[in-house]
Amino acid sequence: MSSEPVIGEPEIAALVRERLPDIPFEASETKTYADLRVAPEHFLALVTGLRDDAELSFDLLRNIVALDMEEAGLEAKYQLYSFPHGHALQITVPAPIPSCELPSLTGLYPAANWHEREAAEMVGLVFTGHPDPRNLLLEEDLRIHPLRKAHPLQKAEILQGIEDGPPGVEV
Amino acid sequence: MSEFPFADPFFGLSWLDAIIRIVIVVLVMTLVVVYLTYGERKVVARFQMRLGPTRTGPIGLLQGFADAIKLLIKEDVRPRNADRWVFEFAPYLTFIPVFLVLVALPFAQDWGVRNLALGMFFVFAVLGLNIVGVLMAGLGSGNKYALLGGVRAAAQMISYEIPLVVALLAVAMVAGTLDLNAIVGMQDSRPFILIQPLAFVIFFTAMLSELHRAPFDIPVAESEIVGGYFVEYSGIRWSMFQLAEYASLWAFSIFGSAIFLGGWAFPFGEDWGWGWQLVLTLIKSLIMIMLIFWVRATLPRLRMDQLMSFCWKALIEVSFALLLVNGLFLYYDWPEPILAAVNWVGAILFLGGIYLRAARKPSTKNLVGSYKHAEVPNP
Amino acid sequence: MSIWPEERVAAADSDLDTVDMTVNVGPQHPATHGVFRMVLTVDGELVVGCEPYIGYLHRGLEKLSENADYRQAMGWWDRTDYLAGMCCEGAYTMAVERLAGIEVPERADYIRVIMMELSRINSHFMFLGAFGADVGSFGTSFVYAWRERERIYDLFEEVAGDRMFPTYFRIGGVTMDLPDNFESRCRWVLGSIKQGLEDMDGLLTGNEVFVERCRGLTPVTPEQAIAWGFTGPMLRATGVPWDIRKAEPYSVYPQIDFEIPVGVQGDVFDRFHVRLAECYQSVRIIEQCLEQMPEGRVLAPKLPKTLRINDGELYMPTEGTKGEYGVYLMAQGGTNPYRAKLRSPSFCNLSALTELVVGSYVADAIIILGSLDIVLGEVDK
Repeated sequence: MSSEPVIGEPEIAALVRERLPDIPFEASETKTYADLRVAPEHFLALVTGLRDDAELSFDLLRNIVALDMEEAGLEAKYQLYSFPHGHALQITVPAPIPSCELPSLTGLYPAANWHEREAAEMVGLVFTGHPDPRNLLLEEDLRIHPLRKAHPLQKAEILQGIEDGPPGVEV
Repeated sequence: MSEFPFADPFFGLSWLDAIIRIVIVVLVMTLVVVYLTYGERKVVARFQMRLGPTRTGPIGLLQGFADAIKLLIKEDVRPRNADRWVFEFAPYLTFIPVFLVLVALPFAQDWGVRNLALGMFFVFAVLGLNIVGVLMAGLGSGNKYALLGGVRAAAQMISYEIPLVVALLAVAMVAGTLDLNAIVGMQDSRPFILIQPLAFVIFFTAMLSELHRAPFDIPVAESEIVGGYFVEYSGIRWSMFQLAEYASLWAFSIFGSAIFLGGWAFPFGEDWGWGWQLVLTLIKSLIMIMLIFWVRATLPRLRMDQLMSFCWKALIEVSFALLLVNGLFLYYDWPEPILAAVNWVGAILFLGGIYLRAARKPSTKNLVGSYKHAEVPNP
Repeated sequence: MSIWPEERVAAADSDLDTVDMTVNVGPQHPATHGVFRMVLTVDGELVVGCEPYIGYLHRGLEKLSENADYRQAMGWWDRTDYLAGMCCEGAYTMAVERLAGIEVPERADYIRVIMMELSRINSHFMFLGAFGADVGSFGTSFVYAWRERERIYDLFEEVAGDRMFPTYFRIGGVTMDLPDNFESRCRWVLGSIKQGLEDMDGLLTGNEVFVERCRGLTPVTPEQAIAWGFTGPMLRATGVPWDIRKAEPYSVYPQIDFEIPVGVQGDVFDRFHVRLAECYQSVRIIEQCLEQMPEGRVLAPKLPKTLRINDGELYMPTEGTKGEYGVYLMAQGGTNPYRAKLRSPSFCNLSALTELVVGSYVADAIIILGSLDIVLGEVDK
């Protein structure tokens, strides 16, 4: 009963492809939502289209997940929801290596502000155009990224002042 | 009238007599303050379905003394960036005016420290000094919460003094004197609250504000500015503020009960002797204090601008209108029952207006919506 | 950016040479409901700037979860929204179950819904009481709320053995069945809750001072609310009847009849009132659950000794007490999640604090913060 997937909408990927034909992406399924994997250079165009297209109108940015995929570099996942149509999806964007730069969504979704600050400090993504790129949860001068896989679980607190290197590099 | 033992000066010396009387009053006052704090905790606890202090002494009766001892032996901290003299003198300057008020209060027919011919005027004048200490504490603490609290207190106390004084002047006009003992003596058959209910309402509201009591506890708002002007005080100096707060609570209650509830005179007049008179004063002031505690346990706090607009847009106008009406009645010598009737109508209209504003309670029924995907209403 | 009119936000020009003052509120302040800190810039009583600082309670929930077994991590998820531990562990266990494809017995689902709704009432009571104290009612509302909370906690203790952090749910069900007298006890507590709600309604909603303070304070339009990522009561107060229990239902909520309370204009009063009305709906849900609950197992049979989940990811939204409590899990084989992420509603609601507060008075700033109903355990993760 509880495991019944009530949310998954495989046709949403087809709908996006139909409405935004110019933007290349790979569609796949997660356990709940469709996942669109898009290259960083098309990312902003995709999100703008998703938000502004009348058939899609994804107006709520639910969440941003930042991941350290080790050799594959950093990734960000965006969960969006559409109030007018009641559908939801997830966008996956790999960040370019080694700059780790992704465009900030704060211009499109004000809600992205704190999510991006958290993602930036936790795994070291850089959001270009973010109005306030300071640490949010960690200390302001701390330049370590605790959610990197290479970051040790313990002994982290004595590392103040040391910056984490590029992804995949031992601290 | 039974023989009052202290009608003549003690030992025949007026200065010694004054000192003895004021020592008695101050000692009684301190005891009263200790039990007022205990009483407030007990009363508010019952409002909140709690027991209040129960551990120190039988039903917690010694709690006040335990608190006092704790405060006296506590370290007296002075912040480094506080202005030393301003900071250290502020508690005394809030505390002294309250005790000076006691000089003029009529506890029984002849049982005051001094029976001043301009007693009401003296009370106003001395209570006005209270602001100085509060403002000094706010400015001298070197703390921003204290500064906000001090400035709030100054604005609030200065504003509310006007309706307070005007409402009492309206009563003084009816009484025809400023002598507190004479005012009380006139009320042996009917207390002035029956003739001047509107003045009582204004006085009570302004009194809550002067005492920094809910819903006007804005200068000491704990959830906003963490205690306001006395946030930096500790130990003995903090207890001075507490002493001043509860002493002025009691002083105001006696003052209000003397003017509106007939003090020692109503309902027995001068016949029952000074013992009964003291008891009557005490009971009436306790009724006032209970009212204040009740309000405190129930009402949330107003905001500063709402407080000021209530004073300047409602209380002051009403109190001046009251003064005008009383003047007309006295000038043309219209009968007292009609004056009382007009006042009652005014009081009912005033309270009814506030009640009707409160009755705009929205209902829970229209809050329930049914779920639809696209139902995002346009603003 | 502020929702207040421009003339309020721009400090008034004066002939006097005045300086704005910064006031530090928190992390130890009676009105911040935990270890939240904000630096207000005030021009007299007017707030002209607000800088929130969070992270004092950051415990590295996500890193810890990545380094622990799926089952071990449950205890930490309890402690995110510590006012409603059952809701958090419900969200986490349901996410893991959906990721691993584990079926939960129906009785366990009903028990979970009862516990989650009791937790919701618990958390909303905390809000109602603390909000009354923020507005200045000297703890009376607080103690009124505490009476009901204590009874709910007693029930939790009886069921799960712990009050705040029960860790009662298991992946695949719940730890143990309900005690024998649970239904009568629970109905008694529900009656007490209804009485407590009536008391709270009478104490605060009908109070002129309270209404005067809260009515019309920071009205938020639905568009603004969605743009800022508001969910839960904050969004519903603006008039959007959106509740994940209805929109993307999980567990047994589709079989239960309840309504979504919505506000009118999204002001502080509506936020208060929506939460009050939600408690009645939660009571309705629990009553229906008690009637419909079947007999049977409470833990799925044949659960693996060690839970290993092959590749997969999901974002599982649930209706937490403050809004959308979403759990993102990514598995790459093994016994630990590769990545666990919490989308905490308080975090998102709090991020709009500056916009709401700048332009208000200091006293209003406190109750606006109170009306957001943040839990710092959840904000700071």
